[in-house]
Amino acid sequence: MDEKFDCIIVGAGVAGLAAAMTLARNNIKFLLIEKGEFAGAKNVSGGVIWGQDLAKLVPEYWKDEEAGWDRFINHRRLTFIDEESAFSLDFKSRHFNEPPYSGVIVLRSKFDRWLANKVEDAIAESEYSMDSFIATNILVEEILMEGDKAVGIRTGDEKFYADNVIIAEGVNNLLTRQAGLQDKYVPADHILTGVKEIIRYERSVLEDRFQLNGLSGMSNEFVGYATRGVEGGGFLYTNRDTISIGLVLGLKDLRDKELKPYDILNDFKAHPVIKDTIRGGEVVEYSAHVVSSGDKRGIPEKLYKGGLLVCGEAANLLMNAGKAIQGMDYAMRSGILAAETIIEAKSKNDFSITQMKKYQGNLNNSYIMKDINNFQDAVQLLHNPVMYQKVPSLINHFGRNFFTIKNEPTKKSREMMGESVKAHSSYWELIKLGLKGARSL
Amino acid sequence: MKLLTLPERLGLISYRNQAKSEIKPHIRVETEICNTVCPHKCTTYVCPANCYTLDENNHVHFQVEDCIECGTCMYACDQGAVTWEFPDPETGRGVTWNFG
Repeated sequence: MDEKFDCIIVGAGVAGLAAAMTLARNNIKFLLIEKGEFAGAKNVSGGVIWGQDLAKLVPEYWKDEEAGWDRFINHRRLTFIDEESAFSLDFKSRHFNEPPYSGVIVLRSKFDRWLANKVEDAIAESEYSMDSFIATNILVEEILMEGDKAVGIRTGDEKFYADNVIIAEGVNNLLTRQAGLQDKYVPADHILTGVKEIIRYERSVLEDRFQLNGLSGMSNEFVGYATRGVEGGGFLYTNRDTISIGLVLGLKDLRDKELKPYDILNDFKAHPVIKDTIRGGEVVEYSAHVVSSGDKRGIPEKLYKGGLLVCGEAANLLMNAGKAIQGMDYAMRSGILAAETIIEAKSKNDFSITQMKKYQGNLNNSYIMKDINNFQDAVQLLHNPVMYQKVPSLINHFGRNFFTIKNEPTKKSREMMGESVKAHSSYWELIKLGLKGARSL
Repeated sequence: MKLLTLPERLGLISYRNQAKSEIKPHIRVETEICNTVCPHKCTTYVCPANCYTLDENNHVHFQVEDCIECGTCMYACDQGAVTWEFPDPETGRGVTWNFG
């Protein structure tokens, strides 16, 4: 391959594939390089893709029998747990049943591979059906620069050239660091370690246990003792015939508390309430991956250079502000925005830093950076020990008293709440938290 | 349900180039740093695959074979002892997820 590409994309995850799909549809000649055996081979997520962008990328994906997604979400649950109890906010609605769905649960090894096939279809229909490629099993070791402009990539002794490079390499963004857009050493402060198990059930058992209907699914997030006091939380998502259950643990806090992530995961699974929820299945995979916290301080200041754009979690675009853990939808949208910048660049034959800077502008004007900017207080609130330790304990203390019926005069709920507050926190602490919470959400 | 030990969990993982006797490690650890100046030796407990272990003399040892490329040690080590790269598809180790 001596000829030059319009664009080289590094990484066939959600961001890279979204960029590739957009380029293919706009007749841009590209090379998408993936280090894994196939797209998705190295990728791990919780994982829910929130929002409706997937329908833009693969129109009417819900009609595809062999689709790579597992279930659509029509049932949400947020659970506060302490050592022995679980107190949930639970919401299920028919409103979520019609496509385009507002969230789909995926397993990346399957989903990314399916999406890559869709990109292959788009390539086949493009003007560059013989000149654009998805190449797997190739590790990009270097972004080639000429002066301040990216001109291609190197793998081993081989070099490939392009007018533009999109870095979509994921959170462990070595090339982004090499390009000088992020520090060589990134401290643990805004990084969490995720650990997860895939547990398989007979499909009918899974569907009965979680009240699933057809391809409907449930997402359940956990705050509190799930993490044994470590900053972070837990999750449980229903796939077709498996569940994804896991934890995300603040890495700095994990280091300070000297705990092992797989031990905490076992404690979570052994929790009296969780134990009943997951009984009987067979663990078929254990996985782990780091994830960004969504704290803006962890996001590189500049996501572009001449001929170079960074998208997805390579740009640390991810956020959990309490409502949902959003990462893959950010990856998708930022991949699309990066590709659109390149389509415009090609039409003007301008790959300068000024043109590339437009990507950052578009990103700032998109819901991604608007939400990340607007919900920083919520992100920080979730990482406040009062929120992930004291509040769940307090809520469960109240739940135990409120739902316990004794054959004796019952206290008023307000008095019970007072006791719970006293036992685990103070009114003053909660007022402070409430004020922060009211402002942040 | 039965709780799995870490070796049982790692036994479920598909690693690359398992048939190769010699693999090129994608992570290099200067255990000299761990064993002299590091105040916490945190990799020995934060690593989700337990690639970092302590011997009876409290010295850190590293093996790359079980590494699942999660990235944890790259951030957790604040002593500059860990040099992290992605494994080479042909000569390295690393994972292929079946579910992901």
